[in-house]
Amino acid sequence: MKFFVLAYKNLKRRKSRSFLTIGGVAVAVAVLVCLLGFNAGYQEALTSDIDKMGYQVVVTAKGCPYEAATMILNGEAGLKFIDEDIYKQITSDPDIDKITPLLAQLAYDPEKMEGKGGFTNYLGIEESYMPLKPNVEIIKGEWFSGNDVNEAILGYDAAESEQKSVGDKISIPGKDITFTIVGIFNRTGSQEDGTVFLPLKTTQRVFDIQGKLTGIGIKLKQIEKISEFEDRLYPIASIQVISMSQVKGTILNLVNSAKILIMSVAFIAIFVAIIGVINTILMSVFERTQEIGIMKAIGASRLDIFQLIWMETLIVCTLGGIFGSMIAFFGGNMVELLVRNVMPYAPGGKLLLITPELLLFSFLGVIIVGIISGLYPAFKAASMRPIEVIRSGE
Amino acid sequence: MMKELAVKASKLKKEYSSISQRVVALKEIDIEIKKGEFVAIMGPSGAGKTTFLNLIGCLDRPTSGKLDILGCDPAKSNEEKLCRIRIEKIGFVFEDFFLISFLNVLENVQLPLIFAKKFKNNINPETLLKRVGLDHRLTHFPNELSGGELQRVAVARALANDPEVLLADEPTGNLDSRNAQELFTLFRDLNREKGLTIVVATHNIRLGYSADRVIHLNDGKIEKDERLVRENGR
Repeated sequence: MKFFVLAYKNLKRRKSRSFLTIGGVAVAVAVLVCLLGFNAGYQEALTSDIDKMGYQVVVTAKGCPYEAATMILNGEAGLKFIDEDIYKQITSDPDIDKITPLLAQLAYDPEKMEGKGGFTNYLGIEESYMPLKPNVEIIKGEWFSGNDVNEAILGYDAAESEQKSVGDKISIPGKDITFTIVGIFNRTGSQEDGTVFLPLKTTQRVFDIQGKLTGIGIKLKQIEKISEFEDRLYPIASIQVISMSQVKGTILNLVNSAKILIMSVAFIAIFVAIIGVINTILMSVFERTQEIGIMKAIGASRLDIFQLIWMETLIVCTLGGIFGSMIAFFGGNMVELLVRNVMPYAPGGKLLLITPELLLFSFLGVIIVGIISGLYPAFKAASMRPIEVIRSGE
Repeated sequence: MMKELAVKASKLKKEYSSISQRVVALKEIDIEIKKGEFVAIMGPSGAGKTTFLNLIGCLDRPTSGKLDILGCDPAKSNEEKLCRIRIEKIGFVFEDFFLISFLNVLENVQLPLIFAKKFKNNINPETLLKRVGLDHRLTHFPNELSGGELQRVAVARALANDPEVLLADEPTGNLDSRNAQELFTLFRDLNREKGLTIVVATHNIRLGYSADRVIHLNDGKIEKDERLVRENGR
C-alpha cells in the first residue's frame, strides 16, 4: 500500500463530494479546451473557407461592410443590387486576372427541413464563375446548355438533402417555373454546397431583376495591387470593394472580441474550480483532524502528511483533467453546434480543433493548478499537532 | 542483572497554560524504566498519566527537566526527529483505538510501515494480526469489529514498526472486563516473548497489578512506585 492508495481510498470515502469537485475541475478544463480549440479551429476554418472562395476581391453595393462580408461568405454575395453596367465597366481593368458576375437570391421554402421551412440560396452565375473556383467541378452532368435556360446545377449538399439527381425537376417556391437539373457540383466544404445555381440571365428573369447583380467576384493578377485597384473604383458611387483578407480580418476581429469575453468566463470557471478543490480538500483536512493526528502519532512525519493531502489534490485534479478532456473531445461537437448559431459567420469544416497538443497543454495546466491548490491544505494538515488530537480524545 | 534504561526522567515537569489558567500536569518527577519492563501507571483522572505517556511517547515536549528515551532527548529534538523516534522505536495504543475508519484491518496495521519507509524484514502485518488472534478479520473494516477486536488491531498496528517500547493509554477504558483481561494477557505475553518494554496507564487496579511494576501518580507527583515480585506470570 502506498500513499497513492491511501489518498485514493480517502477520496473514495466521500464519493459524492469528490465526484462533484472532480466535476468542477472537469468542466473548467472542458471549457478551456473547447475555447482554445475553438480559437484555433475557427481561424483555420475561416482561412480555408476564404481560400476556397477563389475571389480575392468582391464588389458589392454600398452598405455595411460587416453585413456584406458575412453575406458573401454565406454564398449570398449581398442582396442589394448593383447595375450590370458596372460589371462591364470594370472588366477591362488592367489588374484583373479573372472576374465573374454574381446574382444571389433567397427564397423561403416552407417544405424545407422536413416541413419546418427554411431559406434556399440561389446564385445566378456565368461560365466565368468556374475559372475563379479552382476547387469546384461538376461531378455529375454538365454545364447549362445556354445563357437563359430553365436549368439548374445543385451544390453537393443541396442535391443530397433534396434527394435530386441529374434529370430531376425542381421549382422555386412561389414561382411557376420548373427547372431541370443538369449538373451537380462536388463537395467543397463551403456554404455553396447548399446553393442552387442558375444561369445569371435566368435568375434575372425569374426573380424579375433585369440588368442587376448582387456582386462581382474578382481575382487580381497581383493581390498587392489591390489598393490601386480600389482607388480606381472609388469614383463609382454605388459600390464598395471588399477584399477577402479584409473580410477575414473583420470577422476575426469580431470573433476575437467575443473570445476575450469567453476567455474571461473560462478563467473564472477555472478560478472557481480551484477554490472548489482547495475548499474540498481543506474541509476534509479539518474533518480528519483526528485521523491526521493519529497518523502523526503513529509516526507519520510532516512530509508524509503533506504528501498524502497533496496527493489527494493531485488525484482530484488529474481525474478532473481526464474527464474534462474527454468531455471536450466528445462534447465538442455540441459546443460547435451551439457556437454556429451565435456566430456572425460560421465557416464550413470543423470549428473546434482539438489537437493532442491542446489536450496535453490543458492537462498539464490543470496538474500545475492542482499542485498549487494542494499546497495550502497540505501545509495546514502537516502542521497539525498529534498531541491535540490525543488530548481531545481523552 | 543491570538492564539498559528505556526511559530516564529527572525533574520532569509539564505545564499546560491557556489564557484562563495554568495547569501543572507533572511536577518534577523522576522515573527510570528499564528495557523489558512491564509498567503500569495508575492514578485518578488528572493525575498526569496521559501527560507522562505523551512525553515518553515523543508526542509532546516537557516544560522542563531531563528526559531520555532510548537515548534520545525530546526537548532537544525538532518535530521531524520526534517523529523518527515515534516511527522507529515507539508503538502507541489509545483508549479510543484510533483506527483509520476507511482502511480495513490489514491496511490499518500496514499504515506505520508506509510511514516507516524502511521496511523491517521481520515484520509481517498478517503475522501480527494472527498473533493477536484476528487473522480471520483481515479485510473487515473497523466499524465491523467489536471493541475488543478493535483494540487488538490497534495493538497489532502499534507493533507493526517493531517498536522497543509499547505505550498504552487507558487501553481497556472502552472494553468489558473479559476483553480487558485478554488485552492484559496479550501485553503480558508480548512482554515475555519479545522482551518488549510496555508502559500502560490504567484505572483498573486489578489489571494494573498484573504488571511487573506499578507507579502511582497523583496530582502530577509519584505517590508510590511498587515493584511486584512474582514467580510465574500472572
